[in-house]
Amino acid sequence: MRLAGILRFELAYQLRRAWPWLSMAVLVVFALVSTRVAIVPVTLPEDFVLNSPFIIASVTVFSCQIWLLVAPAVAGEAAARDVHTGMYPLVYASPVGKAEYLGGRFLAALLLHCLILLGVQLGSLLAVHGPGANPDVVGPFRPAAYLAAYGFIALPNALIATTMQFSAALLSGRPMAAYVGSFALFFLSYPVTVFLYISKLARPEIAMLSDPIGVFAIMNEMMSNWTIVEKNVRMFTLEGPMLINRLVWIGISLLVLAVVHLRFRFAHRTATDPVSRLLQRFRGTTPAPDVAAPARIAIAVPRVQGSFGMATRLRQTLAIARSSFRTIATSLPGLFLLAAYPAMLVLIMVIELQQWGVPLLPRTVEIVSRYLTFPITDPINYLVMVPLLVIFFSGELVWRERDVRLDESVDATPVPEWVLFLGKYLGLALVLVALMTMMTVAGVLTQTFRGYHDFEVDRYVTLLFGFQLPEYLLFAMLALAIQVVVDHKYLGQLVALVAYLLLIFADVLGIEHNLLVYSAGPAWSFTEMRGFGGSVGPWLWFKLYWAAWALLLAVAARLAWVRGRESGLATRLRAARHRVTRATMRTAAAAVALVLALGGFVFYNTNVLNAHVTDDELVRRRAEYERQYGTYEGKPQPANVHTELRVELYPARRAATMRGSYRLVNRHEVPIDSVHVEPAFYVDTRVTFDRAFRRVLADDVAGHHIYALDEPLQPGDSLTMGFDVRFERRGFGHGGLRSNGAGQAILENGTYLTGSALPVIGYQPLRELWGAEERREYGLPRQVTLPPPGDVDPGMAAGVPATFDAIVGTDDDQVAVAPGALRRTWIENGRRYFRYASDVPIGGMHVFFSADYAVHREQWKDVDVQLFLHPGHTKHVERLLRGVRASLEYYSAQFGPYPFPFLKLVEQPGNFFGMGVDGSGVITAGEGFFLLDPQGNGFDAIFEVVGHEMGHQWWAVQLKPAFAEGGGVISEGLAWYSAMRLVQHVKGREALRRFMSYMRQPNPWPQIRTGRPLLRAIDPWASYRKGPYAMYALSEYLGEDRVNGALRTLIRNKASSLATTVDLYRELEAVTPDSLRPLLHDLFAVNAFWTFDTERATAVRTETGAWRVTLEVEARKVVADSAGVENEVPIGERIEIGIFAPAKPGEVLGAPLHVQKHPIRSGRQTLTITVQERPDRAGIDPYNLLDWDEGDNIEPIEIEAPGDRADRERTS
Amino acid sequence: MELRIRGVSKRYPNGVQALHDVSLTIPPGMYGLLGPNGAGKSTLMRILATLQDADEGSIHLGDLDVLARKDEVRKTLGYLPQEFGVYPKVSAEELLDHFALLEGIGERRARREIVEALLRQTNLWDVRRQKLGGYSGGMKQRFGVAVALLGDPKLLIVDEPTAGLDPAERVRFLNLLSEIGENAVVLLSTHIVEDVSELCTRMAIIDRGEILLEAEPLRAVSELRGRIWRRVMSKAELPEAEREHAVVSTKLLAGRTVVRVHADSSPDNGFEPAEPDLEDVYFTAMAGHIGRRREQEAPAERVASR
Repeated sequence: MRLAGILRFELAYQLRRAWPWLSMAVLVVFALVSTRVAIVPVTLPEDFVLNSPFIIASVTVFSCQIWLLVAPAVAGEAAARDVHTGMYPLVYASPVGKAEYLGGRFLAALLLHCLILLGVQLGSLLAVHGPGANPDVVGPFRPAAYLAAYGFIALPNALIATTMQFSAALLSGRPMAAYVGSFALFFLSYPVTVFLYISKLARPEIAMLSDPIGVFAIMNEMMSNWTIVEKNVRMFTLEGPMLINRLVWIGISLLVLAVVHLRFRFAHRTATDPVSRLLQRFRGTTPAPDVAAPARIAIAVPRVQGSFGMATRLRQTLAIARSSFRTIATSLPGLFLLAAYPAMLVLIMVIELQQWGVPLLPRTVEIVSRYLTFPITDPINYLVMVPLLVIFFSGELVWRERDVRLDESVDATPVPEWVLFLGKYLGLALVLVALMTMMTVAGVLTQTFRGYHDFEVDRYVTLLFGFQLPEYLLFAMLALAIQVVVDHKYLGQLVALVAYLLLIFADVLGIEHNLLVYSAGPAWSFTEMRGFGGSVGPWLWFKLYWAAWALLLAVAARLAWVRGRESGLATRLRAARHRVTRATMRTAAAAVALVLALGGFVFYNTNVLNAHVTDDELVRRRAEYERQYGTYEGKPQPANVHTELRVELYPARRAATMRGSYRLVNRHEVPIDSVHVEPAFYVDTRVTFDRAFRRVLADDVAGHHIYALDEPLQPGDSLTMGFDVRFERRGFGHGGLRSNGAGQAILENGTYLTGSALPVIGYQPLRELWGAEERREYGLPRQVTLPPPGDVDPGMAAGVPATFDAIVGTDDDQVAVAPGALRRTWIENGRRYFRYASDVPIGGMHVFFSADYAVHREQWKDVDVQLFLHPGHTKHVERLLRGVRASLEYYSAQFGPYPFPFLKLVEQPGNFFGMGVDGSGVITAGEGFFLLDPQGNGFDAIFEVVGHEMGHQWWAVQLKPAFAEGGGVISEGLAWYSAMRLVQHVKGREALRRFMSYMRQPNPWPQIRTGRPLLRAIDPWASYRKGPYAMYALSEYLGEDRVNGALRTLIRNKASSLATTVDLYRELEAVTPDSLRPLLHDLFAVNAFWTFDTERATAVRTETGAWRVTLEVEARKVVADSAGVENEVPIGERIEIGIFAPAKPGEVLGAPLHVQKHPIRSGRQTLTITVQERPDRAGIDPYNLLDWDEGDNIEPIEIEAPGDRADRERTS
Repeated sequence: MELRIRGVSKRYPNGVQALHDVSLTIPPGMYGLLGPNGAGKSTLMRILATLQDADEGSIHLGDLDVLARKDEVRKTLGYLPQEFGVYPKVSAEELLDHFALLEGIGERRARREIVEALLRQTNLWDVRRQKLGGYSGGMKQRFGVAVALLGDPKLLIVDEPTAGLDPAERVRFLNLLSEIGENAVVLLSTHIVEDVSELCTRMAIIDRGEILLEAEPLRAVSELRGRIWRRVMSKAELPEAEREHAVVSTKLLAGRTVVRVHADSSPDNGFEPAEPDLEDVYFTAMAGHIGRRREQEAPAERVASR
């Protein structure tokens, strides 16, 4: 019963304190806000139920992560208060048992945590049933959903986290160590798990196990495997990987508790730390004993008076900084940050620096900008540990003297508060400087391990110390100032963390302007092609502005600094008043003046020179657009058949003008009396016509102009519309290059301007709001986001392509690129001009580039192939061309001729990866693409990716998908299918197999088994993966020619209208014999999944010298409905069985000895096949035509002596 | 330069009146502040050490306003708190050097010299490289003394300094203090009467936030001469003695009780004259037979005897 007493006392003690309640309050608010604003990413812009079990569980998971960082004090206090306060000898010497003492304290902490976590469910309930909730998105109240989230997620987490926090605090004797325990869990649950998962260092199931809090394990499971329907209705329970995860971690917790119980002693705690104990053992010396003090006469102490000039102050500041740095750097979390963490980064980088299985060049820019730097308000992955530790260290530093009760001695020394504060701040800054140094070391080490020796240390120094360090320094000032002002250890941590959350989620809460979010600002960016691209100026102005705020914070901290015994509000106010010296006033005044001046300057740039439009405002404008001009949808408008452009780019002053005209034809049966023009946002557009007209309306806010023609445009008649678009850089805007994406930027080197700056004709339904929530908010009728393919008008016209003629001028040292064939280039007035034109109508987006490009040009038949690459990135020219040529060759033969006389592949400035298609005959590749560094094994992924993008020139450019369900299968699915066939055609099946194993990886698109069938697919896995798999399987069953023939027909039939999966299915059906119709149906019309497993393969040599192979296989086929229910169905199709010779070096499988489709039924069965050569491996569906999980389809063959088998069968 | 405390009062938020209208004049030299635990000694010391504020009153060190100009006070202040800790992972030499710098001794060589001298003075020289975490209570206390002596203080405040010291250390320390007292104000708070009687030229007795007596120890003792009487009695006789006489203290001696009483003339009844000592002064003042309590005519309070 002592246990109960201890428990009761501890509960009562902590419940009288503020921190448990404040932690709970934080969780209530966090859960409420995250439920309301749906922080939880909803994959699709479809309606969701606010109180669905999915949302409740997701909010619980994320809240647990916050709770982990907010509330460790509860367990820390329970575990270590006695030691920390020095009361422990009284307790330890009492007759209470170890189990009772630890048990009582632990259970009290656990109960408190359980209570605090109730706040999450409370917040979720308030979000749904509290004032202001939208009843439209509230489903029925299901108590079980809350109970499940609390019971299955929160309670196990409470146990796990309490265990770690309690153990850390107990063993170290410091309540604050509980935070370290928490950080460890947080670190495991988020960065480590994500890393393991993405890097494939461990199998996904193992990676999921490493997540103690379930953030990733639970969210990944639900996000990727649950359909929208399930997300709204399915009850959350623990099963599969989630259940195993919980059980494993509960087991680990119990184990830790047992170990702690065994290790813990009611013993005197020596003050030595583990490090000195170790050193002690190492050196083998004991400290000198205290020599008996003889009562000798005093020695004279030199009488040195202190001096208190600026030099001394400086020395004092530095001394405090040094000593602060040393405490942190030698503490366990400090060692983690400065040693273990960079080491882990090296591991991460060495492993992650690859794409599609191809190593990436560890260029310094890539390493620094992808792995080592981030804006503090936008934390990525593992780097979030730095701000969290800065918060922790700030608390430790502010409380350093008081923690060891040295505060009275220090406070009585003649040191001004600002020296104490500044010294600690500099100490923290030194830690961050050390971190930057270690980051540099980590980067250089990574490069060395990769055999890359162009270190560019100066670039590390510039980017890490010049750009990332200020980011951290600003935050450190905030964290330290908060700890000083709050003046309570746990509350300081809590307030600082909440402040950090506010910084991160400011935009979600509606605070968008970077002038209002501490330390925020446009991000800098650096790429090899465009350098800083003008991003330094805006970044610097914002940072200077925030540095002025930091100075104010420092003044506030000095005034609020607690010195001496009293920390009551009145005392502190009195002390603050007392400390307002002239110097302080001057500093504060200077800071305020700087804030005003810099803030004013920034505001002038972002809001006066440039329009600052908030997200809310954008949404409002789109709603307004639909409300006011939606009636014009479908109103007959002339179509553009020819575009003429004169684009003048001025990279040096970052300006451009685009003057041009559209030839507009009335293709309708009625005369057109007015032209509706939608100008692009943020640019000045002027419009004229070649006949008398009147401007009826020019709404530049919502974006709609109406021009009435005095004389209506008769059917078949045409007119010319001229326009004039101007870009002028005025100061700097609110967003940076990084956040804006690469588009719309005219830069000194690396201009990438899209045609979205040009006006378009007619009302644009695509500008309407999508989100159900937003539409509701603005009272717009509900809209089906994506219509089913059958609902699309089969005759709906495709966006009409137009012929194109553009003259692009730029600086004379740059090359300008535009769609079309290059007709002419010349120099005029010191500027260089290029004329690009296409007599074949082209569609898609018009893009204009200008940079110092290295140009490669060659001819493929009558196609002019041009490559525009950064001069330093030309290593892969030949590889790129190989892909381009092979694609042109193969696709032209299979799907119909390539329609354009030009094809250009342009390097797009910006550090992003991959390739894209911008329109007819234009493929772009990000700078990241040129990091691909294929090794000797021949696989470079470049061929495959180029094949995919080239495929889009048929699928998306020629065959345009309708805006409907299944649209992604038409564009992405067919483009990947084409690439797969191309790879097999050119490089063989082995090469395809190797590439497929990268396609099968869960990143970026994990398998979704319960999605919709392909015909109505909306999720990316279906479009990018299942679509091509199904097409490939079909082409293997039907024959490549038949399937490709069907596709050729499809392109021809849908040349002038939009295509849906229904059209695709019809063409495929037409070439499918009756015997295979069920397979076609299963692949496209329902969600069928095949699972094959070869359990055992044996072979025996026959008398004739042949080999008789016996396979024991298991086969299964299920059909999943949209709610995720799987029904087993019998297998009706023949399945491939393959037997292979031993693999040669570099091969995965050896030469096929036998690959044939055999009748297979569901369940377990044995097959016997005879081959002539010695077999090595065998299996069912060896090329994964139907079983899309690579795994146990193929097994090595066990060779048996003749007779073995018979013996075995007899004995078994 | 003397320290003048005038009408200082301090009340804690929880209602405890820690100091009530305390006025003292402390000349250079050793000054003892004697009082039981909880008397307000430490509060007064901390106020003098700039770590707490007084609600009322004024304190001046020479011309320096102690309450208003804390920064200036700290420059001439040495302070040994009653209770303090150290950074466990730092050596004595390092931490003392750090404190020397905080005291304004910026020059490295001067700092090294004074650190060495103080470590030798406090007998910590041989263990100067050892981490403070491994120090015994006495060593830690001596380290605190070294810190307090840094920067040539004009005002040295030592709060219960002898508590953790062994007899030899105590003697050494007190000698050191009196040496410093030759040209500084040294204020020593203690509840050990001998600390004061041996060294202090002046003293005050404080209890429940009030100064009961301010005196020179020798004179105070001599003033009691002829007024202290003692008698050895059995325990059973004690209550009656306490009723009839102004008992100053009772002590057990070999199973019998020695009772000392305060009386202007012989109480007879077996009492014999006793030679007064400072302890008698202390207890007499606490009991209200002399000093402020008597002036206030407050009802005599019984003092817990030991």
